[in-house]
Amino acid sequence: MTTTTERPGTGGAAPAPPEGTGTSDKARSEQRLGWMLAGPAFAIMLLVTAYPIAQAVYYSLFDYRLTDPANRSFAGLNNYLVVLTDEIWWISFGVTVFITVVTVAVELVLGFALALVMMNALKAIRPILRAAILIPYAVITVVSAFAWQYAFSLDSGFVNSWFSWLPGVTADTDWFGGTWSSLFVVCLAEIWKTTPFISLLLLAGLAQVPDVLQEAARVDGATWWQRMWKVTIPNMKAAIMVALLFRTLDAFRVFDTVFVMTGGANNTETVSFLAYRQTIDRLEIGLGSAVSVLLFLSVVVICVGFIKGFKVDLSQARGEK
Amino acid sequence: MSTRERVLWIVAGIAIVIYALFPVGWIVSLSLKSSADIANGQFLPTSVSWENYTQILVGDAAELFLPALRNSFGIVLIATFIACVLSMFAAYAIARLNFRGKRLILSTALAVAIFPVISIVTPLYNLWRQIGLYDTWPGLIIPYLSLTLPLSIWTMSAFFREIPWEMEQAAQVDGATSWQAFRKVIVPLATPGVFTTAILAFFIAWNDFAYGISLTSTGAARPVPAALGLFSGASQFESPNGPIAAAAVIVTIPVVVLVLIFQRRIVAGLTNGAVKG
Amino acid sequence: MRRARWRRGLAAGVAAAALAGLAGCGGAPDGPPVLNWYTNPDDGGQAEIAAACTEASGGAYRIATSVLPRQAGEQRQQLVRRLAANDPSIDIMSIDPPYIPEFAEAGFLAPVPEDVAARTTEGVVNSAVEGASWDGELVTVPFWANTQLLWYRKADVAAAGLDMSSPVTWDQVIAAAQQSGKQIAAQGARAESMTVWLNALVESGGGEIITDPSPEAPEAIGLGLDSPAATKAAEIMKEVAGVAGPGFSTADEDQNSNAFQGDAAMFQVNWPFVWGKVNSAVEDGSVEQSVADDFGWALYPQVDPDTPSAPPYGGINLGVGAFSPNVDLAYQAAECIVSEENQKQYMLTNGNPAAKEAVFTDPEVLEQFPMAPLIEQSLQQAKPRPQTAYYSEVSESIQRNYHPSAGIDPAGVGPATAELIRAVLAKEQLL
Repeated sequence: MTTTTERPGTGGAAPAPPEGTGTSDKARSEQRLGWMLAGPAFAIMLLVTAYPIAQAVYYSLFDYRLTDPANRSFAGLNNYLVVLTDEIWWISFGVTVFITVVTVAVELVLGFALALVMMNALKAIRPILRAAILIPYAVITVVSAFAWQYAFSLDSGFVNSWFSWLPGVTADTDWFGGTWSSLFVVCLAEIWKTTPFISLLLLAGLAQVPDVLQEAARVDGATWWQRMWKVTIPNMKAAIMVALLFRTLDAFRVFDTVFVMTGGANNTETVSFLAYRQTIDRLEIGLGSAVSVLLFLSVVVICVGFIKGFKVDLSQARGEK
Repeated sequence: MSTRERVLWIVAGIAIVIYALFPVGWIVSLSLKSSADIANGQFLPTSVSWENYTQILVGDAAELFLPALRNSFGIVLIATFIACVLSMFAAYAIARLNFRGKRLILSTALAVAIFPVISIVTPLYNLWRQIGLYDTWPGLIIPYLSLTLPLSIWTMSAFFREIPWEMEQAAQVDGATSWQAFRKVIVPLATPGVFTTAILAFFIAWNDFAYGISLTSTGAARPVPAALGLFSGASQFESPNGPIAAAAVIVTIPVVVLVLIFQRRIVAGLTNGAVKG
Repeated sequence: MRRARWRRGLAAGVAAAALAGLAGCGGAPDGPPVLNWYTNPDDGGQAEIAAACTEASGGAYRIATSVLPRQAGEQRQQLVRRLAANDPSIDIMSIDPPYIPEFAEAGFLAPVPEDVAARTTEGVVNSAVEGASWDGELVTVPFWANTQLLWYRKADVAAAGLDMSSPVTWDQVIAAAQQSGKQIAAQGARAESMTVWLNALVESGGGEIITDPSPEAPEAIGLGLDSPAATKAAEIMKEVAGVAGPGFSTADEDQNSNAFQGDAAMFQVNWPFVWGKVNSAVEDGSVEQSVADDFGWALYPQVDPDTPSAPPYGGINLGVGAFSPNVDLAYQAAECIVSEENQKQYMLTNGNPAAKEAVFTDPEVLEQFPMAPLIEQSLQQAKPRPQTAYYSEVSESIQRNYHPSAGIDPAGVGPATAELIRAVLAKEQLL
């Protein structure tokens, strides 16, 4: 899959040799060396992803149960038909989209606020803030999921006793007893864990906004809000888009948090979890592979949609100048 | 900046610190509650108890936890090392050489990074079973490479692009051999980038859960995140919240230490690879 | 550019060496053959038994234990995944009984030698023998057997005026709880425990979840979920949800034992671990002695006043891996593991009831478990969960439809679940 914005010319930092007949030997040896150096990494990446995906596509065409390999039979596209006509797929899909939209939207706003604070904080406390904000990023997702689950659980949690003054929260509120309250906690855990990532990307974007422009706007008498909307945000659009794309793709694959917190109860299953359940739990390799392939396709569609729809320049994301 | 504004930013800064540390503080507090105290409904333990730590470090759960900890460290460090070495070469080629296929390599890295792990896990699991890599260290190291390589390649190429390579030639002109020029000039310039990449790769591999639960089944290769689901209370029906919290704290210590020491570099690495100005 | 070339070579060499070194470790040490026993998590009792049997074998074998996940379903996944790859390293496994048919049907279990079968089923409670068998044949060795009792708080029950000297019905239990304004603690979480509960209710009402397991064509399975017994079972579940605690839809065995140890619940249906749990809580001072003294126990509630109940049957049986190179030794070891002495010790140290009847009359056991005779009676009456090679699908379909129990339509949920199970087995639906 090569979803990148194609641009003419390559962007090597080394001075490119002038195209011509005389340098063909040098070009050839450079070509060979380039592949010799980058080849192993390239080969491993292909091996670990391309091959499994090809195998998943292949298995998705079969009726294949792990404990019953003798009865494996070709099923054509039937597995896809089963998946796509099943309410459960669509519920999981909806839940996944919900989690993605909610978490990414909240993270964008919250992350922006965090980035602003870090930008404006006094030099002396900046390292403290930077270290603090990196902690959620570095904590294992499973650990974060357990922490939030225990905080909200009826047995071991403190949330109910702390927040009983809120309407609708009592000592007996069972957060994991319903779809929406479970999803609320799942989203909260996800937001806590991944906002730092977004805010750091946005911080880098903020730093790119030229001070001159800010000054000019200030001289023109623009208010803080006006400067924000007219100067700051337009000038960091690229950073915002890259952050959005990466987090959307990440959020759409959410698995760990749901697995730990609800185990899919109360219709909180995500697409990743559905794929896991069919293959690993139910041992139906065929059906599960079909779900996996559909999940993969969804991610590709999101990625292409972002790149084409929002004109995200991924050359920035790849570190290409 | 006016005093009022200054106070405002400081308050906001404190809010960030609380936001970031609160859940971590909670899991630490939970891990210090005795089993009778777990359900006290309060944030803090009534009295501090080390029973959860003794249980996972020397007690019943030690047989489960210690091998998992060893696996986690071993597998993640090896995966990080290999990823760094491989992406160092790749990034060097991308930053320095002009060759056809550069774009393909970068695009592949991007594509691999967005692959849903769950889509890969099942076929990989079938393959591993057939070739005997299931429940072994290499069986996790290889998939961890697919997690860490893309990020390492981006981050490192971004760093390598900033290295003034012409200094190497300048040194050679000054009489240094090419090896000396490389060692004295380029290595010191490249080290921070490689190092930062290593930390980020470590975080990513350390965080894995889906591969850990799907591709292992014994203490031979099971990493800590997967082992957390295996703790048990005094009987199979009793909740192991306390030991899980203690184990969670222990696996969080290494990443917190890394964050505290290298926060500046990590931020540079994260933002450098993703958004370049 | 020579430099870069040797560096690449070095890196590849290091990587290969690292991988090869890892793959290479784990060679067989000299000494007696090692038997790998995959155990479910417990309080260390199985590891102790393994050490004791290694000792007793006089060097014939050494048992190494390896722990499986906490959830029964995940234990099955781990084992099935390895066995599907014909893994020879699985010698002995602790299997939760409902999954035994699947293992047997897939050919994952080495046949039990006749003499071993005879010796290990002698004097063993009915439900354990039934649970260790598939298709009328013993395929695993009964190790320990679990059953649920009706636990009640003596003071509350006395105040409600309910006579517990003879078996009570669910209707009586629900009425007493309603009248006292107290809870009934039952397993309402979406987990295996929900199937355990439903099965006990259906069987107690004279019905069966699976009437014909039909291993030939899975979707031809005969289901009894549209029977009056199943409707009645759903009605009871719904009524209990009305008098259960606020966290009913996530309540598992442990949460329920907490609710019962506290003051919230006056009844609970639960496994005997609650007795060990309350006593250790008394020991470490977090619960008053008077609470443990207030614990009463009775047979699992009846659905019908005139029919004895069919309490849940659980526990663990030992299977020997079909691909093990040491099947005979593994059966020798299994026989040692399930000896009366080991079962008794296991019950005393880990609180898991034995499968052998004789253990329940042992003075030491009686002292620690005054309800031992009742447990034995309950085990004799208990009925296993539906036996089918597709148990996992059946159970998960049930969990999907019967959860949350507060919102089910008692007449409709049974037929709907039967339809779901058939569609899932025909691979026409996701799960």
